[in-house]
Amino acid sequence: MVNGLARFAWRSLRARPLRTALSIVGIALGVAVLFAALVTDAGIQAGVGRTVDDVMGRSDLRVGAFEEKGLSASSLSAIRSAPGVAIADPVLEQRTYLQRDALTTADSTAAAYAPPITVIGIDPTIDGTATGLHDLQLASGQGLSPTSTTDVLVPAGLARDLGLGAGDTLTILGLNGPVPYRVVGLLSGAGPDPTSEGRGVVVSLAASTALFGDRGATWVDVGLAAGATVDGVVVALEQRLTFEPFVLTDRADLAASLGASTAGFEALTALIAAVTLFGGAFLIFNTLSMTLSERVREIGLLRAAGTTRRQVHRLVLIQALILGVSGSILGLVLGLAMSVVIARTVGSLGDSGVPIDGPVVPPLGVALAALVGILVTLAAALEPAIQAGRISPIEALRPAHVRRHSLVSQLRWLAAVVVTVGVAGLALWPIALGPFGLGGGATGNAGIIRPLVVYAVLLVVTMLTPLILGPLGRLASLPFALFLPAEARLSRGSLARDRKRTALTVGALTIGLAMIVALGGLAGSAHAATDAWLTDVIPGDLVATSIRPIAAGEGVAQQLAAVPGVATVSPIARFAVAFRGVRVDAAAVAGSDLATDGRLTFVAGDRRAALTALDAGGSTIVPQAVADEFGLKVGDTLDLPVGGGEAVEERIVGIVARGLPGQSGESVLIGWSDATSHFGVLGADAFAIRFVPGRMAAAQAGLASAARGLALEPTPISGIASAINDAFGRLFSLFDALALLAVLIAGLGIVNTLTMNVYERVREIGILRAAGMTRRQVWRMVVVEAGTMGVAGALLGCLAGVILGFALGGVAGLGGPGSGPTIPWLTIVLAAAFGIGIAMLAAFQPARIASRISIVRAVQFE
Amino acid sequence: MAIAAPILEARDLTKRYAFGDTTVDALRGVSLTVQPGEFVALMGSSGSGKSTLLHILGGLDKPTSGEVVLGGETISGLGDDAATRLRRDRTGFVFQFFNLIPLLDAAENVGLPFTIAGQDPRNGEAADRIRDVFELVDLGGKEHHRPDQLSAGEQQRVAIARALVNRPSIVLADEPTGNLDFTTGGEILEALWRSCAKRGQTIVLVTHDAKAAAYADRVEVIQDGVIRDEIVLGRRDDHAAAPLIARLAQLGL
Ligand SMILES: Nc1ncnc2c1ncn2[C@@H]1O[C@H](COP(=O)(O)OP(=O)(O)O)[C@@H](O)[C@H]1O
Ligand SMILES: [Mg+2]
Repeated sequence: MVNGLARFAWRSLRARPLRTALSIVGIALGVAVLFAALVTDAGIQAGVGRTVDDVMGRSDLRVGAFEEKGLSASSLSAIRSAPGVAIADPVLEQRTYLQRDALTTADSTAAAYAPPITVIGIDPTIDGTATGLHDLQLASGQGLSPTSTTDVLVPAGLARDLGLGAGDTLTILGLNGPVPYRVVGLLSGAGPDPTSEGRGVVVSLAASTALFGDRGATWVDVGLAAGATVDGVVVALEQRLTFEPFVLTDRADLAASLGASTAGFEALTALIAAVTLFGGAFLIFNTLSMTLSERVREIGLLRAAGTTRRQVHRLVLIQALILGVSGSILGLVLGLAMSVVIARTVGSLGDSGVPIDGPVVPPLGVALAALVGILVTLAAALEPAIQAGRISPIEALRPAHVRRHSLVSQLRWLAAVVVTVGVAGLALWPIALGPFGLGGGATGNAGIIRPLVVYAVLLVVTMLTPLILGPLGRLASLPFALFLPAEARLSRGSLARDRKRTALTVGALTIGLAMIVALGGLAGSAHAATDAWLTDVIPGDLVATSIRPIAAGEGVAQQLAAVPGVATVSPIARFAVAFRGVRVDAAAVAGSDLATDGRLTFVAGDRRAALTALDAGGSTIVPQAVADEFGLKVGDTLDLPVGGGEAVEERIVGIVARGLPGQSGESVLIGWSDATSHFGVLGADAFAIRFVPGRMAAAQAGLASAARGLALEPTPISGIASAINDAFGRLFSLFDALALLAVLIAGLGIVNTLTMNVYERVREIGILRAAGMTRRQVWRMVVVEAGTMGVAGALLGCLAGVILGFALGGVAGLGGPGSGPTIPWLTIVLAAAFGIGIAMLAAFQPARIASRISIVRAVQFE
Repeated sequence: MAIAAPILEARDLTKRYAFGDTTVDALRGVSLTVQPGEFVALMGSSGSGKSTLLHILGGLDKPTSGEVVLGGETISGLGDDAATRLRRDRTGFVFQFFNLIPLLDAAENVGLPFTIAGQDPRNGEAADRIRDVFELVDLGGKEHHRPDQLSAGEQQRVAIARALVNRPSIVLADEPTGNLDFTTGGEILEALWRSCAKRGQTIVLVTHDAKAAAYADRVEVIQDGVIRDEIVLGRRDDHAAAPLIARLAQLGL
């Protein structure tokens, strides 16, 4: 009998190929987004792993310097002699610039500043050999000679950009002016430091002296001896290294911190996948209910002929299974393709530069995506199956009638599907990533809470929709009532025909649009936040960066200030401090400059007193984010190690909304006197320059030439902001694309619902046509019906989206630092237009069917 | 009865349905003339072509050959839009089942021709006419009941009210009493009769029931797609079916 049932189920799906295809596509898109998200996340995790490999090379542990002067020779030999250390491989790293003349596209306008390069100093006696921890794969030429002090290795890509080949000269700006090097080889890989983004040139440590003077290693990579453990070596190093402050990083630390930076992205993709799947579930539900309502009599006859209620249930579930399995298979294929596109579009994530690796297919992910697809389909089929089981044999004899469902059972069904999607999709997420879930354990949970909250908001919105459908429908049909009163009047009624169906159709659209609007809000606030952040903290219109620390006594600031049109010049140095064993970004700033320029927004502490105390020393001003992270308040004291086993105390005198941007977050602010006397800061590495109002344009040219003479690179604030915003932009356009897919699925749902409404109304449409309604009017009636749903979805979606945007606020930094909520008016208008447009487009086929209904046939039979 | 210009004239109508190789000739040359104010019944057994004829007369369907002239205008060749306008303004239909839109109340159902024409049925002349036809079919006070709150007979009378509301040249009713009991059917026929007697409404009623046909001035008997006989009853105030049944018996029906 099951066999016979299966055949029957199959035939009844085949009888309506369009509808069946629509449902399969719906569930396939849901599964596709889910699977694409899984593959992408696996790719990110793999990318984290690869980045750890790239960054750490073959080393097990890295000893990093805190101070600009680097790790001293005594530290290096202490590391070498520590028990368990087999090899200690020093690296010096410094950002600098190429001499302008070396650039073919020299452009003196301030906006088109040349990006810096990174000079990487290595020890050719170690890294040139098999025992070295850093790979220097050569594309052509030869390696660094241990004796030469003028050899340089250039990444092949950079060499191509600069038009350089082996034997050519590369002139690099050093502390004391330009230094010429000879290109001896081209690097094929990313080199010892992949974070230099293809702009890292390699010289020997000895050769770097000509550029940067007698400076120690920026870090020392450590290879462990056989049998030694990371923990053992860490203990040994902590005892021996007492010369200056340092920070130890092992592979696990790095993976965890990189993982944390990608958690927000993963959470959002998971959320969007869940939302999309919800739309797919709804399509399945509609298809099965439609098939049933058409076949009430047939099922009644089956029941009369002795088919048990359970067999009827099975019949419906078999149909669902057919839809679910085919949809899931199609979805996996689509999802894989989608993930390739995502990897191409996004490239890498945020500051950390974690790349998304090409398609990494987690085997468990395949199972999860398919399972969720099938489970959701079955959950969606449950209610139709139960309804079908309730059809009595007598129903075969009765004329068709309108079935009414109680609101409670409607909501119950809805909750079941939503919860299934939610639990299956989100809770199994970290499991599905399996072996790729490197940092997943620690970061996964935190990242998932917020999407769950968002999901709950969407659930509530959808559940409320049936309750407010009446007034909502009337409101939404208003614009149409103006132009097409008859069609609007007649179509409004049909929305109330099956509240659940309409509510779900509108709900799916609402959710898709809400995602778009929320993302628009987030993107908007990220942009606004970046701009506001920079203008809030930097006391200037432009930042001139230096490749070397410029001491206060050199008079550089005074020279810049003498340029006509320049109002103020304020020195800034970026460094790092160790707090509670963690690296924290710090910035040396002049409190008096910040006070006069009116920068910084104080959350706690007195502004004037705090900035004065900063310059006096022993005081620090902490950004809110850092205060929150460590649970700090005004009056607390930070114990900061400064080498030699000693520490200085910095009392918190103020908390500000945002600090200066650092390498991995916001910086704590320290006065210049403390920075130089305790933290080894030698001088400013940037100057914030404020122009006299109205004279910016004129002053810029003068400044550019002064800066060139001083080996400074001027960068307008807007240039910095747009670089940050570009990265956000790519990420958000991806999310938008995914959310658009969700709206598209909602569109398919509208096609389904309208078709169902039309089929259920054949008789009514016949009556209307007999009473004098033209084909065109029937056509317009269905389009208005769709439009009303579109407007309703747009109204709710935009509202929910704005609320969500506020709630999502700072999903793991995606909203930008300290972002304030913004209402994305443009996005709202576009999303609403898109939603209404899709809805009306979806009406095309159903409207055609409706307008072609034969009156004679419609009225002939009961 | 004086010979006026006929309101409706059907000339040699045929209708052929074809599916693949097989064809069904539902009508095979029907000619029929209806005078203004006349109440004509079409009788015949199931499948004899009554509904087909009625649909063609009202512009719901087109004949395979022959023509229909309504009020001097040939309507059998009209395009869809023109035929639709014709139905809206000049004919009224009543079907056997499910004549009403369930989500609209009785008054809104009756006002459909106005709504469709883009007028507001709640104001002006439209509202007056709706009130008037509610009275005529004896449903005053039920204007705001929804179809599922009305009895089957009341629902059919609402349908008649809608057919009458735009004062059509002709009302075409297809077995409006078909699935109703005797008394309920009587109410409906009375309503149709009143519109004919009081307003001079021209009516063509399809039925297979002699008791219903007895309301008519004239009965056309259809068999196998042709009009086999005509029985003229004349306008009478009593609608006893006995004479008609006797005449039908004479014809061997
Ligand atoms: N749409 C149609 N397609 C094919 N045959 C039809 C169609 N409508 C009616 N017929 C056939 O035409 C004949 C007359 O039908 P109909 O006019 O409905 O008869 P009546 O109303 O007298 O019962 C019947 O044989 C019927 O099967
Ligand atoms: Mg019939």
